[in-house]
Amino acid sequence: MLPAALYLALFIAYPFGMSIYLSLSDAQAGNQKWSYIGTANYSKVQSYDLLANDFVLGRFPSEAAARAFVSERPLLKVTTFPAPGGGHRATLTAPGRSIALLDMEKEEDATFAASTILQDTSWTVRQAGGKAEVVAHEKESAVTLGTFTTRKAVDLAATKLLVPAATRVDIHGTGVLQDPNFLLALKNTFKYTFGTEILKLLIGVPCALLLNRKFGGRRLLRGLVVIPWVIPIAISAQAWLWILDSTYSVINWCLVHWGVLTPQHIINFRGDKDLAMLSVIAVNVWRGFPFTTIIILAGLTAIPDEILERARLEGASAFQRFVHIISPMVRPILMVSLLFSVIFSFTDFNTIWIITKGGPFDQTQVLATYAYQLGVNAGYLGKGAATSLFMFPIMAVMVFFMLQFLRREA
Amino acid sequence: MAEVVLENVEKRFGDVRAVAGIDLTIRDKEFVILVGPSGCGKTTTLRMIAGLEEVSGGDIKIAGRSVTHLPPRDRDIAMVFQSYALYPHMTVAKNMSFSLRLRGMPRDQVATRVRDVAAILGLSDHLDRKPRQLSGGQRQRVAVGAALCRQAGVLLFDEPLSNLDAKLRVHMRTELKRLHQSVQSTMVYVTHDQVEAMTMGDRIVIMNAGVICQVGTPLEVYDRPVSRFVAGFIGSPPMNFFEGELVPDGSGVALALPGDLRLSLPRPELASRAGRKVSFGIRPEHISVAQSGRPLSDLAWAAVASPARVPAVIEVVEPLGHRVVVTARGEAGTFQMETEIHAGVRQGDRVDLWFDMNRAYLFDGETEATL
Ligand SMILES: Nc1ncnc2c1ncn2[C@@H]1O[C@H](COP(=O)(O)OP(=O)(O)O)[C@@H](O)[C@H]1O
Ligand SMILES: [Mg+2]
Repeated sequence: MLPAALYLALFIAYPFGMSIYLSLSDAQAGNQKWSYIGTANYSKVQSYDLLANDFVLGRFPSEAAARAFVSERPLLKVTTFPAPGGGHRATLTAPGRSIALLDMEKEEDATFAASTILQDTSWTVRQAGGKAEVVAHEKESAVTLGTFTTRKAVDLAATKLLVPAATRVDIHGTGVLQDPNFLLALKNTFKYTFGTEILKLLIGVPCALLLNRKFGGRRLLRGLVVIPWVIPIAISAQAWLWILDSTYSVINWCLVHWGVLTPQHIINFRGDKDLAMLSVIAVNVWRGFPFTTIIILAGLTAIPDEILERARLEGASAFQRFVHIISPMVRPILMVSLLFSVIFSFTDFNTIWIITKGGPFDQTQVLATYAYQLGVNAGYLGKGAATSLFMFPIMAVMVFFMLQFLRREA
Repeated sequence: MAEVVLENVEKRFGDVRAVAGIDLTIRDKEFVILVGPSGCGKTTTLRMIAGLEEVSGGDIKIAGRSVTHLPPRDRDIAMVFQSYALYPHMTVAKNMSFSLRLRGMPRDQVATRVRDVAAILGLSDHLDRKPRQLSGGQRQRVAVGAALCRQAGVLLFDEPLSNLDAKLRVHMRTELKRLHQSVQSTMVYVTHDQVEAMTMGDRIVIMNAGVICQVGTPLEVYDRPVSRFVAGFIGSPPMNFFEGELVPDGSGVALALPGDLRLSLPRPELASRAGRKVSFGIRPEHISVAQSGRPLSDLAWAAVASPARVPAVIEVVEPLGHRVVVTARGEAGTFQMETEIHAGVRQGDRVDLWFDMNRAYLFDGETEATL
């Protein structure tokens, strides 16, 4: 009992506890003293920007009426009045017309925002619910309606926009949750994980079914199929680096050779921001599908012959046997394999680090590589720890649901 | 109408001839048992009838139609496997109705059929359970239920009771027999247990080494075994065999056994065979006790039979209840007999035992055929 507890404490709890502590401190490479800063590494907001775009300036019964209004644009002027609830109200006025746009504390802010909407946006007419709407759209970037320090203030400000519009709150801060690169890495992690898992299943299931048939050389093939999984990624990645090389890629060579591509338009697998993610997924799938195959194969082998024979006798075709008997019987073990494989992919560092190092433009940056970049390369130990610890609750939730599924199946 | 006919059916696995050309006709609605020692080709025969195994030669007809090259599902058969082969992910009801649902039978009809069959088998309360929540006996019933649901012309059973405990086995034996009377299907039942064979079947097919030795009713195979193998296989405890020789005895013939034992045979027609080596067989139930100093109820029996006196020493006494199995050693060898528990035999006793020579069997020393 005691040795087990000691082991748990030393080898599991300590590193985990240490990273939690780091994530709660302002630890930074080169700093002498680390002090406790609470959850600031996770989330610390400095300001909220209220942004809005696509202002609906008016609704008209017919398109003609809407167009008439758009043609009145040169006549419109920005005027401000004291607002009923305090502050100032900016209004677009013309003879016989007045459109209340927004309320703001300061008069010049209100005037500025209203003028931007009047002058810098392009106005279009669109149909909505049987009416014609005039929409003011700012092409370059949304109109900033103010910067606030609390959530309450920004929410209140949003209610003071008096015309319908698409509003958005941009949060600025120093925590990882306010870091757009972190959010990108999180998104990439999901892309990477689910892309990998779906492909692994699509390749692994047919492979397992094939290897489960009786044919000469089956044992040899079963042995060969695990090769990608057993050779160290550091070695196989060298081959992949060549396959995906911008200049010497064998895929490019073939495509050029067959006349599909010209040498001027070869594919840059690792450098193209869309292809880079596909490339790392491909490498991870190549490396991981043998595991899926072998596990499913084990599941298939575990189905007693008599059960399949009974199904055959009861009139089930090969396809019906697959759907009604084989799939449900393999499903629990498939879920176990998926569970492991999701954990591996979600926390995978090696593949990406070797193939793209997270690039280009962070398009393949996942949580594991970003945590390393942030914590080790850039020296922000606290933030790096916080980034990697983010994986923990996400994984816990995924694992929980998968285990739940397994329990229901059993 | 589901008569099953096998014509010179053969199965080879590489060099192994698992079934070496058998002819058999199983009549419509008959309950036929295939029995024989392990590895004699029973399962292979059954699987060929089912279509799970291709025949290497010969022809199989079901209901007058050759099915030799038809897939299993077109043969109008259902089968109960030794391992039950239940689908572990389906409830009892789903297990039983799988074939019906595949055929696209309307839901309400399926439900009615399942309910009826479950009622027959006492499974009504378990329809929503998964197989793993059932006892061995219940699983066995589900397997039978699944086969019954299909209302196939022929039901095949491959040692369906061998995974049950002894008591349940006896119970299910009766159940299956009763079931046969109510379902009106032809049943072919494979077992290696001769007790099962004797108690259940209309007719018994005794197989050995890929061939059929004898086909007959339980009484026929018990009373008139065609060979030493059948005689030894049917009956429990098994028949005793002694190697001996036929010798002339007056106008008739007697049996000379090792240890100068001479038993006269009530078989004058064998006189011409004097001098041949034979096996002499007698069932344990046809030997009785005559112990000195006790009144013998068996003496009355000895009067109507043709008893031969054999001195022996009692070695082992195994009570089975009201009967005991006694192992005795005489000059001719060791043998077993069965008698009443009150006969009073004790280990170590020297007794005279009486062989009923009217019930004795003689088998040719070379061909082992019954003489
Ligand atoms: N698939 C197979 N491949 C090779 N030999 C087999 C196969 N199935 C059965 N046999 C052989 O055929 C013989 C008969 O087997 P089986 O019909 O299963 O016997 P039983 O059911 O009477 O015990 C055995 O010698 C067995 O080894
Ligand atoms: Mg068998």
